[in-house]
Order: sequence, then structure tokens, then C-alpha cells
Amino acid sequence: MTLSDVLPGRAIASRIRIGRLPPAGAVIPGLFLVLLILAAIEPRLFTAANPLAIAPREAFQPPGPAHLFGTDQSGRDIFTRVIYGARQSLLLGVGAITVSMSLAITLGVIGGLGGRITQRAVGWTLDVLFSFPTLILALLFASHLGNGIGPLIIATGIGNVPGYARMVLGQVVSARHAGYVEAARALGHSPARIIRRHILPNAMRPLIVTVTMGIGQAIVWSSALSFLGLGAKPPAAEWGTMLSMGRDFVQRAWWMTFFPGLFIVLTTLSTTMFGRYLQRRLEGRLP
Amino acid sequence: MTSLNRRRRPARATTLLASVGLASLATTILPAFGADEPVKGGTLIYATDREPTCLDPHVDGDMPQVFIAQQYTDSLVSQDKDGKIGPWLAKSWTVSDDGKTYTFKLRDDVKFTNGEKFNAAALKANLDHIKNPATQSSTAGGYIQQYVKTETPDEFTAVVTLSKPYAAFLEVLAQGFLGIEAPSALARPRNENCETPVGTGPFKIIKWDRQSQIVLERNPDYNSAPPTAAHQGPAYLDQIIWKFIPEPSVRFASLASGDVDVIETVPPESEADAEKNPDLTLIIADRPGNPTNGAINTTRAPFDDIRVREAFVRSADISSALDSVFFGRYKRAPGPLSAATPFATPDFKNLYDYDPDRANALLDEAGWTEKDANGIRQKDGKPLTVHVPIGDFQGPAERSLWEQIQATAIGTGFDVQLEPLGFSEWLDRQATWNYDIIPEYWNTNTADVLRIVLSSEFLGAAGSGGYHQNASGFKNAEFDALVNKALETQDPEARRKLYYDAQKIVASNFLQVLTFPQSTRLGVYKTAKGVRLEPSLSVTTLYDAWVQK
Amino acid sequence: MSSVTVAAGPAAGLLSRSRIGSAGRRVLSRVLAAVLVLFASATVTFFALHLTPGDPVRAVLGGPTANPSPATIAATIAEFGLDQPPHVQYGLYMSRLASGNLGMSFSQRQPVIDVIAAQVGPTLQLMASAIVVAWVLALASVMATTRRHPLLQGLGSALETISAALPQFWLALVLLAIFAFGLRWFPPQGNQGALSLVLPTLALALPLAGFLAQVTRESLELALDQPFILSARTRGLSEGAVRWRHALRHAVLPGISLSAWAVGSLIGNAVLVEVIFSRQGLGRVLYQAVTRQDMPLTIGVTLLVTLVYILASAAADLLFVLVDPRLKAHRS
Repeated sequence: MTLSDVLPGRAIASRIRIGRLPPAGAVIPGLFLVLLILAAIEPRLFTAANPLAIAPREAFQPPGPAHLFGTDQSGRDIFTRVIYGARQSLLLGVGAITVSMSLAITLGVIGGLGGRITQRAVGWTLDVLFSFPTLILALLFASHLGNGIGPLIIATGIGNVPGYARMVLGQVVSARHAGYVEAARALGHSPARIIRRHILPNAMRPLIVTVTMGIGQAIVWSSALSFLGLGAKPPAAEWGTMLSMGRDFVQRAWWMTFFPGLFIVLTTLSTTMFGRYLQRRLEGRLP
Repeated sequence: MTSLNRRRRPARATTLLASVGLASLATTILPAFGADEPVKGGTLIYATDREPTCLDPHVDGDMPQVFIAQQYTDSLVSQDKDGKIGPWLAKSWTVSDDGKTYTFKLRDDVKFTNGEKFNAAALKANLDHIKNPATQSSTAGGYIQQYVKTETPDEFTAVVTLSKPYAAFLEVLAQGFLGIEAPSALARPRNENCETPVGTGPFKIIKWDRQSQIVLERNPDYNSAPPTAAHQGPAYLDQIIWKFIPEPSVRFASLASGDVDVIETVPPESEADAEKNPDLTLIIADRPGNPTNGAINTTRAPFDDIRVREAFVRSADISSALDSVFFGRYKRAPGPLSAATPFATPDFKNLYDYDPDRANALLDEAGWTEKDANGIRQKDGKPLTVHVPIGDFQGPAERSLWEQIQATAIGTGFDVQLEPLGFSEWLDRQATWNYDIIPEYWNTNTADVLRIVLSSEFLGAAGSGGYHQNASGFKNAEFDALVNKALETQDPEARRKLYYDAQKIVASNFLQVLTFPQSTRLGVYKTAKGVRLEPSLSVTTLYDAWVQK
Repeated sequence: MSSVTVAAGPAAGLLSRSRIGSAGRRVLSRVLAAVLVLFASATVTFFALHLTPGDPVRAVLGGPTANPSPATIAATIAEFGLDQPPHVQYGLYMSRLASGNLGMSFSQRQPVIDVIAAQVGPTLQLMASAIVVAWVLALASVMATTRRHPLLQGLGSALETISAALPQFWLALVLLAIFAFGLRWFPPQGNQGALSLVLPTLALALPLAGFLAQVTRESLELALDQPFILSARTRGLSEGAVRWRHALRHAVLPGISLSAWAVGSLIGNAVLVEVIFSRQGLGRVLYQAVTRQDMPLTIGVTLLVTLVYILASAAADLLFVLVDPRLKAHRS
């Protein structure tokens, strides 16, 4: 019996259980993510072909036994490219979230733990940055930093900092005023110890969920940038780039846009569902 | 028809009735099937892929601008499909013996659409406007750098003085980039004239809705059609809507459904569909000038060695690549001048044939004999790398083409590295000579393009920010002499010989990896007729067009 | 801990202060903050663009067939003010901005204000319809399926989650392929008429609807568990009345707060949709301006975007206060 069962109105998926395993709403996405991570680490487990190898005679093949997801205008195998794209996308997603979170936590903690002035200053800085929609901030940085994965990670990461930083700020501030901190102070613990053992862990725990779901979002943003031509340039095996390459052939070769897009959707769905599962489990644990 | 068959048996009167009926049936059906008689009136919707930056062709000067300029301006002279210069706004002209002074006799019956009269003073205003640095004229200004001044001894005579003899002067004057505009319009601030320029042409600009469309209307008083046009007098169309649809698939879909009447730049992947579609026609013509090519940087290794250059040209299987990327619809360029250019010769085409054996032999001779694990040749430990910056503005087809060249070149040991870049970065690399091959082209109606693209005059003027039109870095005194001499004579046969020798030098120095000639490719829906490409630059002209809707 | 609590922060603070007394002060401080934000926005953009490699003069005059004379290039540099050192340019630029002059766009050869005025309409139209449609869809899904038959609930929740996971640019391509090219129900491009607005709006609205619905659903569930709902039911109110007249006001609060953020993300995604559907709009203009290093235009559009975001934030906060029944009770 868990919190999920007590609180009514949860999605069916969270109710389907097999013995003591987590619900289907967590297992299926979890499994997909595991496969994705495997594909990212060792794509050759899934495909032996080269994602960049061209074969002009096999251009525009529809999905079939030889090419599971079909081929593109230069005969490249789309399935192979989607698999290798997993590596790019996960790298982008994890990298961008790392960049976002590092900056966000830094700003949020400084702001949350500091005095009123610091808090105000940080809050105001975040307001300024927050007024730049993510994509625009990322656009500016992407064109400034040039091409490639590194700049794309930084651009997407920076683009999402304001939102996350505000969240961290909020969490740190409320943790700071929470009951258990009052208790610890009454017990005479040093501020450093209170911060290290009470405020920070409690502030950060909810972020686990945000990070999980944020990876999916970061993948979408970086794909959007690549789609616009600012990130990984063609013929890179990156899902957004593949969508951009396929958009001229939407009628002739629908598979060129369908499969990379499908994988972006599935990845985002998986991270979201898995994140929500984590959220519910964590809520079950919080006092 | 069955009813007519039944009527065949009865009396003669009914047969007469039948034939009258048949005749009237014919006269109603036939026009619907596309009679040859132009119909006055109607609106034609034209969709192009790129929006011009300014409607005044004197400013900047990119291809979208000359396309729109062709509809609302006339040029001083015309050029037919054989390259011969004919009259237009200028009735006749004489050239001084030293080639530096041109005396034009102008038409006296032409008015701009704002009522101003076209005369020698107007011509002077135009030429001065193009030359003026504040106009920011990249193309037109570049073509008349030799221009000094215009004198107007009487109202319809203009005496134009150049600093040097320039046989290509009349040729460039035939281009829409140097279209004649009203002096009072030119006198306005540049950016204002960009919005609402005024010409003498068959149509006039009414409104420019940025990112959406330009609206043009017929000039009812038009009387200055060139001899190359299909008719004289005002245009047939009431109105043209010039739309911008950058997405290729969307543009073609709009044509196929009849939402637009004509599109420019039919996507290569849709040309086969267009041919199969009975409602569509394709109008395709090569443009004159230097074809699309990869200019080889001769100023640094490895291509400072002519053997390596030849080896690379021989390693690229251009024909197969073109067939694959453009679905067999684009043909190889015959030489540094596309076939539509005056004085072009195909005699050196074979120097560019795919010949991997010869390539391998040359590379061995040049000392690139070591090979690494991937088959890339090396010399003194350095790999045979070829850096090719490709701008994202150059289009996916161009990129695919180079991917295929990359694939064949690796067979002879070249490591071709394609570097996709944004526009600014690409320009940067170009300006700093930081490339081994750079894709480029030059559309123009004169063989003088050889001088622009390959003579030492264009290696980067001081103050040009490093930008150089001669992307190969070619510096050859004999070639320079030839192309400059060709400007000093008006005699076409002399020019033909000089340009022949010049093309020979270019071909045998392997300065460019020639791919395909630039072309204008229009898709026309069944409702539009009489759409033509004018002969000088193969630019769309809607002057003779009419619609049947 | 979800983002709900944090987003409600600024408005929740209103509960603790006397609203009428400090209203004037708050408005003033917001205006001041807005001005500072705009100033900072312009500064960040200026330096971000300035540090980009490349040369805007060459971008305007250059290209594959350009042959400008050195005099032309010099005149252009002078006209753009690029012959000055960066800090001087910055100073000149800021002083002009302060007097309301947004300058001349390098690449479009028009005053920046004219470019923006011509293009802002279609973008605002697209964003407004996207927000409206998103809310309509979200409310429809949430109100119809929350706490009803478990199968219905599961379906609603699943649809919302899937919608929220769809990337806008992929959805746009799919809609284009099926409804514009395939079924020919809607035009594949265009700026006029309601029909040409349908597909772009849907591409933006569906993912946003999914997101808003998820947040609102959670909130509605919490609201329906509250004691006052029980008392409303015991008073004999129908299920519909309970939901619509009482629970709804509580449920939409987090969605309203998030709408401000949603506006920001819509602007960003409008770039993608405008490009795919060849629509007029600021998104495309901004993208072109950035790639051509058109400083005045980029700054102009960024400022406008910032302004829109600030206004949306303020509107969301205001709406929050108006809708929040707790505050209403506080007032009476």
C-alpha cells in the first residue's frame, strides 16, 4: 500500500502492478530509457552500420527488412542514425541539464542563503534572464559560440537556467524556514551544519524529479536549435538535424521525419512519466 | 455526340443545324483548352523562395532583386539569346575608337510611371546613383567601376565616359541590375526608394508586404518593350502578386494545387512529379556566367601544386553525383563559362572527366605516396586533407552533392572534410583564405566574368574587409593580359579568340571543380500562359504572360 | 514539491500585505523593474551579438556574387557606425534607445520600429489564438475527465501527457503533411484568413494544452478534496456546478501563473512554426536578424519580446489576484 493507492485520481498506469514491481507507468518508460542509455553507450549493440555512410543507389527507400526505418536522400540508414542520435540526444540532454543545474543551484543557493539584499539581487537577475524566452537566449548563444555539440549544450543549458534557478531559490528559501531547521537551530547546531545536513538535502531532493523531466525538455530544445540549423549541422546523426533534413521530403519520404520525431516524443514521454513516478515515491517519503 | 449521330439520318436541314451546332460547340470548347490568343486582364500569382532585401536593384544586388526589377524597369540596351546587343531605351549608340566613350541616342517617347520623362539626364542620374558609395551597390556598382561621368549635350543624347576601355559595358547595361529608374525617385533617401521604386517597365510596384508579398499593377502607358519581347504595348495582366514561400515542399504543394500560378526554383525532388502532372509545365533555362563550382585555393597546400589540383578534379565523379542528387535533371557544366554565356566553349570539357587512374598517378608523382589506415594519402606525415566550408544558405542539394564528391574522392586518397557553417562564418572563412575548396558561382551575361572570378585584380582590394571575388587566388600574367585585352576591342571575333585562350588557361590550370550551371527553373500551372525567361540572364519576365482562370 | 508552489509565490505574497495601501508603490516598483529589465536585455543582446564571429557589413554586401567597391564598403561601415570601438557603439546605441529611437535595421533597410510594427501583428495573433485554444482544450479535458470513471480519467491523463511531450516543430510538420499536403483541408502557408491560422495554432496549442492540463488536473483533484467542496455537495449542488463554480477557481490558479511562462515559451516556439508555415512574424524576423548579425533589429525584437513577457507576467499576476477566491474572501 503506497501513497499512490491512497490518493485517488491517479492514472491507471500507476495502478497496474505485478507483484511488488513498480507500476507499468514506471516500468515501461524506465525500460525505454535503459535501452536508450545502452544505445548511447554502445550503439553497435543495435546496429552495425555507419550512420554517415552514403549509398546513393538506395536513396528514399521506405521502411522494410533491409532498412527498418527507411533511408534518406543520400541512402543513409535512418534506423542507424536514430540509434546514434540517441547518443547525441542523451549527451545534449544530460549535458544541458548539468549546465543548467550547476548554474541554477549556484545562483539559487547563494540567493536563498544570503541576506535580503543578496536574495533580491539574485531574484532580480533571474527575472531579467527569465524574460528571455529559452529559445531566444539559446539562439543568441548558439550563434555566438558557433557550431557543434559543445556550444549547443551550453546554449540550451543557459537558456533554461532562469526557470530552474527560480525553483531552487524557492526551495532553499522554504527549506530555510522549515520546522526542522528551527528545531536544529534550537538544538544549537552550527549554521554550516544546518545548511549541509538539513537545508541543502531537503531543497535538492525535489530537484531530482525536475532533473529527470528536464532532460527530456533539454533534448527537445536542442533538437529545435538543430532543426533551425544552429546546432548539430547536417548530416550529423542528431534527431533535430534529421528532422530538418527530412522536412523537404515530407510527402515523398515521410519516414525521414516520422522516426526521429517519434523518438524525441518517446524520450520526452519516458522522462516525464518516470519523473512523475519518482515524484510520487518521494512524496510518499517526505514528512 | 450521340445526339448528333442520331441526327445524321434525317433531312439536310437538320444536318445543317447539326454542323452549326458542332461549330458553336467547338468555339466554346476550344478556348477552354488553351487558345493562343492572350487574354487581357486578371491576376497572376508568382511564388519565389527568397525575398529581396530592397526593391531597388541598384542597392546590394542579389538574384531576387533582379527578378523583381525585370518587371518594373527597362534597361538601356537588350541582349538576345545569341548574346548580341540590341536597342531598348537607347535607340542606337556609337563607341569611340579608344573604347572609353559611348554616345547613346535615347528614345524620346518613354515616361516613368510617375509621369517623369526618360531622357539623358535620367540616364546620368541612374549611372551616378549606382556609382555612389552611399547607395551600397554590390553588384551593379561592381559592374561599372570604370564609369567616370555622363554628359548630356542634348535632351536625348548621353555621352558616357569610362576610365578604361570596357567591352563588357553594353553587356552589363542589358542586365536588370542596372534597370533605369526615375531620377526623382532616386533622389529620395535610399531606404525609401527600396520600398517604392519607380521605373518605365510594363508593371509598377504598388505595395511591399514584408515577409509576405509584393503587389504590382500594369502600367497602362507602357510602350517601350525590347525587341526580344513577344509583343509590344501594355502588358496583358492587370496585377501580379509576387509571394515569398521559402519552404520548398510548401511552395511546390501550392503550385500543384493551383493556389499559385507560377513558382520559381522548383525543388529538384519535385521535378519528376511536375512532369508527370498534366496541369504543370516546367520552364528551365541555364543562366550565363561562371557555373556552380568549388573554387580551389591555390595559395596554400595541398592545392598550390597543380598536380594535386588536377588529381582532385579527376577524382570527383561529378556526373554520377549530379544524377543522384538532382535525379538526373542537372547536367555537368562544360567549362568555366556556362553554355548560355557569350563566347563559351565546350572544348575543354574532357579535362574535367572522372579519371581515378590518372588521379592516382598524379598524386604518386607529386609525392603523396604514403597511406594511412583509412586509405588517406600522406606526405611527410601530413594527411591529404581538403577543407570545404559549406554555408547553410547554399542549400541541402549542394551539400548532398559535396557528400558524393567526398565519397568518390576518398577512393584516390583525399580526405574531404565538409564544414557546415552559418552565413557570417562562411564569409569570414572566405575573407581569410581559410579553405581549400569553397563552393560558389557567378550569374552574369558576359564572359568578362572570367576576369572577375580569376584575374589578379580581384584578389581582395584594400578596404574590402578581405573579401575577394577571385576565390582561387589565381595569379597569372598571361591570363590577366588576355581578359583585359578582351575588354579593349568591340570586335566579337577578336573577343571570341581571346576568351577561348583564356578558357584554355583556366581549364588546364584546374582552378575550379565545376559542377552544374546555375539555372532558372519555373513551374507553371495550367492557368498561366506566356510566361517567359528573358534571354540575357534567364530572368522571369511576366510582360507577355496572361492568365486563364 | 512541484513548481506550483514556487510559481504562486509572488501572488501569494499579496495575501500578507494590505493591497489597497501599497498598490501605487507596487506598480511603481514594477515599472522600475521593467525598465531595468529592458535595459539589461538590450545590453546582453548587444554584447552577445558583438562577440559573434563575422562581419555584419560583409553580411549585407557580401555573398556569392558580390563585388562592392572599397568606397562602398567604407561608406557602409560608417553608416552602420561600425567604425567606432565597441564601448562607444554601445554608448551611442543606449543613448538612442533611451530617447526611443530603435535605429535602422542593417539587413532590412528599414527603421527597426517599422519592421517590428509590420510583423508583430501576425505573431501576436498566433500567440493569442494558441493560448486561447490551449486553455479551451486543457479545461475541456480536465473538467470532463477528472475524478470520473477511472478509464476516462486514465485516457484524459494519458492524452495530456502525450500532448505535452510532442515537440512543436515535429507536430507542425506532421500537421502540415496530413492536413495541408494530404487532405488539403488547410493551406500549407499563408498569412490571411482564419484557415491559414488553424494549423500553426494547433501546432503550438496542443503541447501547451497538455502541459496546462496536467497542472490543472492535479490542482483540481486537490481542490475537489477540500472541505468546502463537501459542504457544497451537501448543500445539494450538482456535480457540474460544484466543479465549474467552486473548484475551478482554485484549480486554474497554478495554470494562470504558468501562463506567463507559457507566453515566453510560445514566442520561442513561434520561430519554428513561422518558419515551417512560411508565416509573417517576429519569430522569423528574429531568426534572420541573428543569423545576419543585424544588431539593431535583434535588439529591437528582443526588447519587444521582453516587454511582452513583462506585460504577460503582470497580466497573469493580476488575473491570479482577480480569480483567487481566497483573496475575494479576504476582500469582503
